[in-house]
Amino acid sequence: MTTDNTALIKVRDLKKHYNYGAIKALDGVNIDINKGDVMVVIGPSGSGKSTFLRSLNLLEEPTDGSIVFDGRDIVNEKINLDEFRERMGMVFQHFNLFPHKTILENLTLAPQIVKGKSKEEAEKKALELLDRVGLKDRASAYPVQLSGGQKQRVAIVRALCMDPEVMLFDEPTSALDPEMVGEVLEVMKELAKEGMTMVCVTHEMGFAREVGNRVVFMADGNIIEEGTPEKIFDHPESPRLKDFLGKVLEA
Amino acid sequence: MTISWGNIEKILTYGNMFQQGLIVTVLLALCTVFFGFFLAFGLALMLLSDVRPFRYLEKVKTDDINKKKRNDFIAKFNPVKLIANCYVQFVRCTPMLVQIFLVYYIVFGFITLPKFTFFGFIQFERFFPAAVALALNSGGYMSAVIRGGIEGVDNGQTEAARSLGMSKAQTMYHIILPQAIKNILPAVANEFVTIIKESSICYTIGVQDIMFNVKSVQSATFIIAEPLLMATFLYFCLCFPTSKIIEYVERRMRQSDNR
Repeated sequence: MTTDNTALIKVRDLKKHYNYGAIKALDGVNIDINKGDVMVVIGPSGSGKSTFLRSLNLLEEPTDGSIVFDGRDIVNEKINLDEFRERMGMVFQHFNLFPHKTILENLTLAPQIVKGKSKEEAEKKALELLDRVGLKDRASAYPVQLSGGQKQRVAIVRALCMDPEVMLFDEPTSALDPEMVGEVLEVMKELAKEGMTMVCVTHEMGFAREVGNRVVFMADGNIIEEGTPEKIFDHPESPRLKDFLGKVLEA
Repeated sequence: MTISWGNIEKILTYGNMFQQGLIVTVLLALCTVFFGFFLAFGLALMLLSDVRPFRYLEKVKTDDINKKKRNDFIAKFNPVKLIANCYVQFVRCTPMLVQIFLVYYIVFGFITLPKFTFFGFIQFERFFPAAVALALNSGGYMSAVIRGGIEGVDNGQTEAARSLGMSKAQTMYHIILPQAIKNILPAVANEFVTIIKESSICYTIGVQDIMFNVKSVQSATFIIAEPLLMATFLYFCLCFPTSKIIEYVERRMRQSDNR
């Protein structure tokens, strides 16, 4: 493992079993995520994409295997999990904004109570980031007053407010109306351009092709094929991938 | 037996007794819900706790599936939850009357309470055991409500908070409880109404609530029916408006969700 010293996250033989192995959501996943990677994970539903992503910050506890983040095995070592989680931002399919707090409070709560920032400092950064996604004027609104696309942009900003080293996206556009998908993907593209390390589970093949520098195809709890977008989309090798692409691109 | 205006006028001369009974009943219900709520909250946290001394067994790697199942079963053991569960089941599966007698005759049979009256007519040494017994009882019931209210908050909220690096306690305090309180408060208010009615059982240990005064008036005047009607009227006048107010507040709270 000397060759991949630059890898930020090393996933080794990651397994997630239910019912004592009767259901294998993840069945020995191996992958390295390097700094600056924009890794897009695609695959049919039930293939373990989301489970894989949620395992990365241990929202899902793996049955076996290891995840080495910045040199430490977060699965098997006794570590303070909260400290690691704050270094990995996560964006959910259903936004999961805190409905009882305003947008600004949503953004500033964690920096204050987890990172110990002052209120002014947290608000300054939050407003700066909100401005960049074009939502500065909604800072005092409540989540219910926003559209889906706006909510998801806020959710991305909320994760960014913690200065994460990696951003995990769990189907960020799947719960959105079609006309709102663009605005969220735009923000993600911006992020990718700035060199943020991103792992993104998505069904947006256009996004995968355009923004991703690595595309991972998963099926049945395993990585079947991995490579550049050109390789995956234009020269697929495995029959599973060919079959999948046939179905998705046709639609 | 007849019901006559004459009798009603006669028992109305004992009006201040009913008034005192009314105050005792309301005070008893307030104390019960107040202390019962804290007990219930503690119980709910115990029921939701994740204290598992044998958790490490989950991580033990073995190829034998039966051994693995046995390990996982032991790993699930949570003594804190077990204690809370036992308590709740005890409260739910024994009669309230028995619980009150247990507290009054056995627990406070060993502990001697100071004898004094407050508000001029409430006997502390009877009122206190009654409040304790009722609080212990309603705490058991309310714990289920509070646990349900906490569990009713979408799991995504916890995930979002934890993914931002918040600890379990921070997530509970800043994210879950403020949302759960909306589910919990109406149920607690309803518990107040229930306790107003159930506290009538406390006359059996001599707490001078509405029912106790009914008995007193009955034995002083040899009039049986009218004091009972009076008590019915008083209990209804306490409970009906209260439950209407709760309904109204509940409706308003639901509206504020859609702001």
